Amino acid sequence: MNTKISSVLKSVEKPGRYCGGEYGAIIKNKDEVKARFAFAFPDTYEIGMSNLGMRILCGALNEQPDIWCERVFCPWVDMQQKMRELDIPLWAHESGDPVSEFDILGFTLGYEMCYTTVLAMLKMAKLPLRADERAEDDPIVIGGGACAYNPEPMADFFDCFSIGEGEDNLVEFTKLYIRMKEEGRYTRQGFLHEAAATIRGIYVPSLYDVSYNEDGTISAIARRFEDIPERVEKCIIADMDKAYYPDKLVMPYIEAVHDRIMLEVYRGCIRGCRFCQAGMIYRPVREKTPDLLNKQARCLYDNSGYEEISLMSLSISDYTELEPLTRSLLEWTDRNMVSLSLPSLRVDSFNKELMERIASVRTSSLTFAPEAGTQRLRDVINKNVCEEDLMHAARVAFEGGKTNVKLYFMNGLPTETSEDIEGIATLASRVVHEYYQTPNRPKGRSPQVTVSVSCFIPKPFTPFQWEAQDTMEMLAEKQEFLREKITDRKVRYQHHNAKVSRVEAVLARGNRKLCKALEIAANEGFCFDAWDEFFDYDKWLSVFARADVDPAFFANRQFGLDEILPWDIIDCGVTKEFFKREREKAYAAATTPNCREQCSGCGANRLGGERTPCPKACRGQHEG
Amino acid sequence: MKDNEKRFTLPMLEAPRTMRIRFQKTGNLQYISHLDLQRTFSRILVRAGLPLWYTKGFNPHIKMVFGMPLPVGSESECEMLDVRIEREMSAEEMMERLNAEVTDELRVLAVYPAERKFAEVAFAEYDYTIRTERADEALAEKISDTLQAPLTVLRRTKSGEKETDIQPMIRSAAVTLDGDAIRIHAVLSAGEGNYLNPELLITALRAKTGILSSDLTKESYRILRRRVLLADGVTEFH
Repeated sequence: MNTKISSVLKSVEKPGRYCGGEYGAIIKNKDEVKARFAFAFPDTYEIGMSNLGMRILCGALNEQPDIWCERVFCPWVDMQQKMRELDIPLWAHESGDPVSEFDILGFTLGYEMCYTTVLAMLKMAKLPLRADERAEDDPIVIGGGACAYNPEPMADFFDCFSIGEGEDNLVEFTKLYIRMKEEGRYTRQGFLHEAAATIRGIYVPSLYDVSYNEDGTISAIARRFEDIPERVEKCIIADMDKAYYPDKLVMPYIEAVHDRIMLEVYRGCIRGCRFCQAGMIYRPVREKTPDLLNKQARCLYDNSGYEEISLMSLSISDYTELEPLTRSLLEWTDRNMVSLSLPSLRVDSFNKELMERIASVRTSSLTFAPEAGTQRLRDVINKNVCEEDLMHAARVAFEGGKTNVKLYFMNGLPTETSEDIEGIATLASRVVHEYYQTPNRPKGRSPQVTVSVSCFIPKPFTPFQWEAQDTMEMLAEKQEFLREKITDRKVRYQHHNAKVSRVEAVLARGNRKLCKALEIAANEGFCFDAWDEFFDYDKWLSVFARADVDPAFFANRQFGLDEILPWDIIDCGVTKEFFKREREKAYAAATTPNCREQCSGCGANRLGGERTPCPKACRGQHEG
Repeated sequence: MKDNEKRFTLPMLEAPRTMRIRFQKTGNLQYISHLDLQRTFSRILVRAGLPLWYTKGFNPHIKMVFGMPLPVGSESECEMLDVRIEREMSAEEMMERLNAEVTDELRVLAVYPAERKFAEVAFAEYDYTIRTERADEALAEKISDTLQAPLTVLRRTKSGEKETDIQPMIRSAAVTLDGDAIRIHAVLSAGEGNYLNPELLITALRAKTGILSSDLTKESYRILRRRVLLADGVTEFH
């Protein structure tokens, strides 16, 4: 390791974040590889090491003998101070080499509030913020992840984006880089152009011009060359059984936020909740087979020593093979003292049998997400669960010895009225009441129901993408109103910071005009805005004002249905027509059946996909 | 696939047996706290497929007992961990399996049935290496003199900060000059209730002699625990 870095490790908080040397870390000879990829996570080590996507993608790249992919995390503020004092540039975790020496620098964009951290990391790496200011030899900066579906607020800073699932895409991208270097025809522009023209899912913002109307809306998005796609279609892994999945893990010495085996069971979601971006952009649903999952779990257990396996997916109880999967897992997990956990439970499929199989029985709390307080509003958002389901789930939990139930809700959903907000308080009290109605409840203990309320954020690629977010004043009023309505002493109430949600909405629905604001923010030293202690709303307002950005234009304005949206450049598979239909149904409080019951024609099935519940999936079209 | 299931086929012991694992904790591993080391070892033990004994009860877990604490930022060649096994597996096989699951910085040096109790540990032997541009005979002498005289430092205790003279806890300290480095070979108290954190020696020297207080890239130090000793200050504890 770089001696400058090791010299400061005795004087920073949690030096284990930086020292590296983990069991399972991939070390290659840098002289023997053809491309070095720095995979950056714009948050701390503990959070980055909990990220399944990063583990998968680093592993997939390192499968290639020609490529060495290293991890990069954002140093904490005390370390950043030392880096400035001693002139230490941002380094890669495995080798300690400066990130600026790498061929490709990838950032995973999981959350809008990490944007300032991305820019702070570019500055720490001593790279120009703006893509058009980078030199021929600087790394190619590529972004991906959920936020890349509206890449426009970050368009000026990235050379390109990888839209969709990166397992194969990033390898193909890096291989093109190697090939062009080997053939002696690499130029920065030439490479980006060829990648955009030949690799699905690669979006190069500098190859598209965006023009605006006088009112600030977009008048046109035009490609500069005929050989690049008009709209960039996301790439997917058609057959999840054939997707790369790590069989070994890098074992963090210091505790990661999620420190366990994460087994991805399937991708996508059959449900179609109208506020949920993940439920739309990861379509079509593609399942893995239980045999393969069992083998992967066993292999990861043998190679990691973790004694907990978390079954990951957007809604685990919707997995069609859940019974055979848990049965085959339990054949060896019990004997080895390994427990299973399920992070995502739907109330309508939560039953005693399921609960008995999972480890969360060991904790005293369970979490459910009814999202809205009344049936009417739950129908508007297409949540498709009813109060009876929730009461049943709560009863099962109480009979199983639980005393604490956490309920997630959202404020500010389209069409919300005071009745809906009051409904949250009523629903929580009914859960408390259900506890006392349960004969087999835990003896001598009292229940606690925690109501956690977030603020609705209209997200791109959802039926609610056009909706206006409530103003801060309205959200504050609603939060206060709910506080008054919650009178049950067994109900605890917490709500999200509406200020963060507003900035998140601006960044989520922003266009390229936001780049200026983010550049000012970066130059003022913004970093870790996802952390409450560093988020400063007034500073954000000041930045927006200086960049001539009206936050209300992006957050609180109803977007026109015929307006060109900043993210129209991206094709996520689901069509705008479907979103419009879903929006209309929302206003009529009409629900849409899930993908397994009936195909609603969202359009994602044209991308193909194996083991998908969609009866109309067109298989085999997009392979190879 | 690994043969981690083999442990279920081994003959049961009449009673759980406590095995002592001696390992090093060097290089990057010096920055890993005691709590993180416990978590790390619980996973190593599982990966190695040892026939571990689990507590009986609602939440079964393995029993691990570590020897004396090692502060973050100090290295060691003599860390010890006791674990219990419930089936017959040779110490050699255990060591081989463990070493397949660790990096060299955490290499297992020996595995054997535990006989002595950790409470019998009285002293520990350390090698200090202090790199500084100011290293010369005069500085070595000054450090040597400082370690012979009363040496008060601020110690954090349960009841707040307290001035303590740590000199009586220094059984011996030999200071030598070696190029641009000062070396100290010290035997410090390490018994239960009388444990001297080796880092405190550096704290004291920093206050009394001014070393290690300038640019971190120009001055550095390393602490390496070599051996643990019994009450006679000579016999090695195993």
